[in-house]
Amino acid sequence: MVEKTKKSRVFDYFQEKEEVYAGGVAWCAGCPLELTLRFVPKVLGKDIVIVGCPCCSAPVLYGQNLGTWHRLSYYSTLMTGVASSATGLARYYKKIGQDATIVCYTGDGCAADVGFQPLSGAAERNEKIIYICYDNEGYMNTGVQRSSTTPIHAATTTTPIGKESRGKPTVPKNLPVIMAMHESAYVATATLSHLEDFAKKLLKAKEKKNEGFVYLHVFCPCPVGWRIASDSSIQVCRMAVRTNYFPLWEAEYGKFRLTHETPNPRPVQELTGLIGKFAHLKEDQIEDLQRMVDERYALIKKLCEDNK
Amino acid sequence: MVSTQKGQVRVITGNAAAAYGAMLCRPDVATSYPITPMSEVAEQLSTFRAEGLVDTEMVEVEGENSAMNVVAAATLAGGRAFTATSSWGLVFMYDAVQHASGFRAPVVMAIANRETPGILAVSGGQQDIISTRDTGWIQIIVEDCQEILDSVIMAFRLAEDYDIQLPVMVNYDGFYLSYMAMPVEVPEREDVDRFLAPLKQQPERTKLVPGKPLGCGTHGIEVGFVELRYKHCMAMQRALEKVDEIDRSFGEFFGRSYGGQIEEYRTDDADIILVTSGGATGTARVVVDAKREQGIKVGLVKLRLFRPFPRQRLSEVLKGRKAIGVIDRSVGFGWNCGPMFMEIRALTPEIGIIPMLSYIDGLANLDITILHIERVVDEVYAASQGKPYQEVTWIPLEE
Amino acid sequence: MVIKHKFLMKTEGAWSDADELLLCLDTGSWRTERPVADREKCNYCGLCALYCPPQCMKDMGDYFVPNLDFCKGCGVCAKECPRNAITMVPEGEFTDG
Repeated sequence: MVEKTKKSRVFDYFQEKEEVYAGGVAWCAGCPLELTLRFVPKVLGKDIVIVGCPCCSAPVLYGQNLGTWHRLSYYSTLMTGVASSATGLARYYKKIGQDATIVCYTGDGCAADVGFQPLSGAAERNEKIIYICYDNEGYMNTGVQRSSTTPIHAATTTTPIGKESRGKPTVPKNLPVIMAMHESAYVATATLSHLEDFAKKLLKAKEKKNEGFVYLHVFCPCPVGWRIASDSSIQVCRMAVRTNYFPLWEAEYGKFRLTHETPNPRPVQELTGLIGKFAHLKEDQIEDLQRMVDERYALIKKLCEDNK
Repeated sequence: MVSTQKGQVRVITGNAAAAYGAMLCRPDVATSYPITPMSEVAEQLSTFRAEGLVDTEMVEVEGENSAMNVVAAATLAGGRAFTATSSWGLVFMYDAVQHASGFRAPVVMAIANRETPGILAVSGGQQDIISTRDTGWIQIIVEDCQEILDSVIMAFRLAEDYDIQLPVMVNYDGFYLSYMAMPVEVPEREDVDRFLAPLKQQPERTKLVPGKPLGCGTHGIEVGFVELRYKHCMAMQRALEKVDEIDRSFGEFFGRSYGGQIEEYRTDDADIILVTSGGATGTARVVVDAKREQGIKVGLVKLRLFRPFPRQRLSEVLKGRKAIGVIDRSVGFGWNCGPMFMEIRALTPEIGIIPMLSYIDGLANLDITILHIERVVDEVYAASQGKPYQEVTWIPLEE
Repeated sequence: MVIKHKFLMKTEGAWSDADELLLCLDTGSWRTERPVADREKCNYCGLCALYCPPQCMKDMGDYFVPNLDFCKGCGVCAKECPRNAITMVPEGEFTDG
């Protein structure tokens, strides 16, 4: 019999231990999105107002006629209207003196593509809201189509592999850095393998939203769309951090700081080897990805150094 | 008659009148995005805010689409909200406009009408009203600057009414009314507060409260969806009577009323009737008086409420006439006639089969002149006497 | 028109209300294998409970056990357990599923 250790420190971050969601909800088995959405109200509290749009979170966040799958206040709107609707709520609650933590929750398709304009506008106006983008690198809810955060050479249903196509031909938008360039109150990256880091960032988000706009970019693999086994999603998150494919950093008013150091980063193949959407990669494509990872990490490092 | 103070008369543009109307109603949140010809509404509201005349949360959004989403959300959290735009901006927020009405968000929006995209035009026309007539909003079309201010106040009273809970568009001619300065009596704010006070006596509408497990915007599944659409349509029907009621009440408060759904001018013994909307109505009144002097029994109907369509009141006033002429400041794609004409023609079972003539005029800031309307009256009169007539006339092309 | 439908929603607009109706899916019926923990190996670190996507691990004081009503059988707990204390066993070997 192994000696019982103290339970993981992450449990100490929970403001709310009770589940606000029903026990059984329609997210895929092993989906990190389910983990994120159940985690967020546990750390931020159950009085948050969630603003969502059609995406993978919608079948659970939206009610069905009168019924609903959770006990949170939520506002559902179009993909083009998330950050702007949250602005309307935040401004009104501020006017009437009502305390409110408004959390926008969308995928990368909304944040980087069709909802980018309102997101950028809300960030520039420094609206006091928290915007969480879960990045599964594509439009997963509608069938795994490519978005502007889909990595170069990835296979999706609109960038399939064929005689004349080797996957997505362009590099993805570096959305978290773009958002940090708005010099908002707080911008950070997080993922599900590093839960304590994520919890700390959520708590900081809650505090910083009283000063201005907060943006959190969460790396959230899609087991179905990326063709990984349902049990491997956390492992993929961890490897993304270890290879510097997804560095963990935070930026307050444009001043960067790494929150997790990777002294011996693994080669990007150790990540792509785990993921089905990269199964077709040839050497030159892997080199492209490694170069992208290295250059983007070097940029983050430089931004952090300039901050010292 | 309720006693109110005489308001101060100011010489202000239509845009300023819209901003004054909104300011008097103390909106909680207002958004602004500049577009010709209504940018002045945004500027005026911002000035009011900057001078402390209102404590509205002004949001200078980055696009009209966001402008609508911000105000819709603010009303669904329980607030009062206002925005303004025109043609291109209106069609950019088309998805949010549908969202607002489907969610039953009582937003008030002032629109300075301008031609819609497809042909680049920075000029007036009513195509933007027509292109949003199926969005489920209440649409009112006004004639002069005083009516703009008064209608914005009435719009809040209508939109937020517990029996209605629908967003309202107050439309006025871009370039003609938006930029024209006219003397406008600006009511005192306490009187406007008293006019809107009945809203506080009504039950509170459902609103989003942090911590309360209510979800705004549930999925409409099968018959649930049908139920919501039905409720929306029924609310629009209730709005017909409510528009008349609020207009009467406004008349009691401020001494000005506009007929509610439609305004009838010299229709009692009219043989032929002209139907117009917006600023052209003022010109039409002058022509009707002149033609009456000449012995032609012509009457005028101003179509003030366009959605919901004032079917019953129009049927009552158009029944038993000998001919009808409708002047449209827009085109009806697919029906080869003016769009308002088409909707009035649909009343044939109620009003009988009589000559009905469609006139398309006033597009792209081309004036609807006295000469044009005189010609319309002459042709409608000739049709009423059994002479052959042209059903559809594009007046600018026949000059 | 005679309306036979009994209206589902009390509001004019599309509002859901968790106090009126909280829905739940029988996701326990999805799985094809279930996690079985070896209590001898378990050191109560709680990582299985933290990483479980549907958060269905029940804290029993000094070990965790999955709520089989909602366990989807994804296998994340087995994969993440630092002591390899959890094995995924096919449902066919149980009679209580």
